[in-house]
Amino acid sequence: MDDRMARVIGILIDSFIPILKAGLMYTVPLTIISFFFGMIIAFAVAIIRVTNFKPLTAIVKFYVWIVRGTPLLVQLFIIFYGLPTIGVTLDAFISAIIGFSLSVGAYGSETIRAAILSVPKGQWEAAHALGLSKFQALRHIILPQAIKVAIPPMANSFISLVKDTSLAAAITYTELFQVAQQITARTYEPLWLYLEAAFIYLMFCSVLSVLQSRLEVRFGKSGD
Amino acid sequence: MKKRILLATAIIMMLALVFSGCSAAKQTTEATAPAAEVKQENLLETIKAEGVIKIGTEGTYAPFTFHDKDGKLTGFDVEIAEEIASRLGVKAEFIETKWDGMFAGLDAKRFDAVANQVTIRPDRLEKYDFSSPYIVSKAVLIAHSDNNEIKAFADLKGKKSGQSLTSNLAEIAKSNGAELVQVDGFNQALDLLTSKRIDATINDSLSFLDYKTQRPDAPIKVVAEMDTKDEIGILFNKGNQELVDAVNKALADMKADGTYLKISQKWFGEDVSK
Repeated sequence: MDDRMARVIGILIDSFIPILKAGLMYTVPLTIISFFFGMIIAFAVAIIRVTNFKPLTAIVKFYVWIVRGTPLLVQLFIIFYGLPTIGVTLDAFISAIIGFSLSVGAYGSETIRAAILSVPKGQWEAAHALGLSKFQALRHIILPQAIKVAIPPMANSFISLVKDTSLAAAITYTELFQVAQQITARTYEPLWLYLEAAFIYLMFCSVLSVLQSRLEVRFGKSGD
Repeated sequence: MKKRILLATAIIMMLALVFSGCSAAKQTTEATAPAAEVKQENLLETIKAEGVIKIGTEGTYAPFTFHDKDGKLTGFDVEIAEEIASRLGVKAEFIETKWDGMFAGLDAKRFDAVANQVTIRPDRLEKYDFSSPYIVSKAVLIAHSDNNEIKAFADLKGKKSGQSLTSNLAEIAKSNGAELVQVDGFNQALDLLTSKRIDATINDSLSFLDYKTQRPDAPIKVVAEMDTKDEIGILFNKGNQELVDAVNKALADMKADGTYLKISQKWFGEDVSK
């Protein structure tokens, strides 16, 4: 083994734990918390839209329009660097959670809306015939069926959120990829450290894929 | 039953969100309110009262601001800033951000000053203040070892140069007619250069030396040096003259008593103030 290879391997071994640690301490919490709040927003927005609750429909449509139509990185900059100019100074973690939750909420609301609409209309009519109100029908009849449909696409957004969180480095939040960059700055081995960071992201996402399958089984098999 | 529990949990969580949102907002107003009062005095007094000066830096630019093997932030700029802070009688708290968020962060008062090899430039002086220079840097033109076309800055015309867009070095490349390829920092530029996706990059001679020490086998070389030297200072928002004066005094004292030379020798083996 030549010196160069030995050096690279040494760097990869030394850096594995720091990068993994940054992932577990920063990337994972940011992802989970943002996804959790994002889902609450997504459900709320989807329900407002399918039940066509007039006073709020316009507001949520506007929200989805803005969030989907502007880059996430720009949104994070506005929240973190822009808001302080009008006196709202949030720390990097909170800013990131707000940015990512709003993003998950906007995209997720469309997924959930589609899932709700995928439930045959006859189910609504049957529920109505049984004397259930619109909200009762939604809760007891429609949503349980819709969730099954929504799991694969929502797992998709969860997995892509894991990777999107690397954007938070731009607002001083030192997550997984930023730590890889810091080690690169000292060792000048960008390719190897990026591969290592990619591998750690892959580990996290693999865990999520397994969880997705479990969840699908639990909510009734979607595939067979 | 299960669903009801689920629903209840969701509601509690939502309330928690609203509540924590409120309390977080309250905390920040509480935190900013006294600061705003103090600010009517001046930033230096605020810093002294809080015992902390907040300094923006990249943390990914060796040997000026980077993380050592143990993950600790260090480097020439970091040590200079720490020394200044201790002479002001406060602690330095470093806030790490990417270069392109550096000015935005200072504007938003996320930090009080920036120590990150910022070149003192007339256009920057229109909007910001600088301390007196704490290092002079020489820009060098770096090309791939196989490249025999680029021998001087003028040869950049029509060639691709990898630079951080808002940096001073990007200006040099542009004024020589280079096509700019935006990079995140020095490391990405070198990565593009070794893989021949850009033709050249302009950077600081001291950074290049550090890189060559780490990677003696890298196929890159310095082909030209700028005649003029750039002076580099600590960057501040305008309107904080007391702070600038205090920092300048600390810098002058450091140079007078030999502390500056010690830091300079440690990182570069020479005096980098001239």
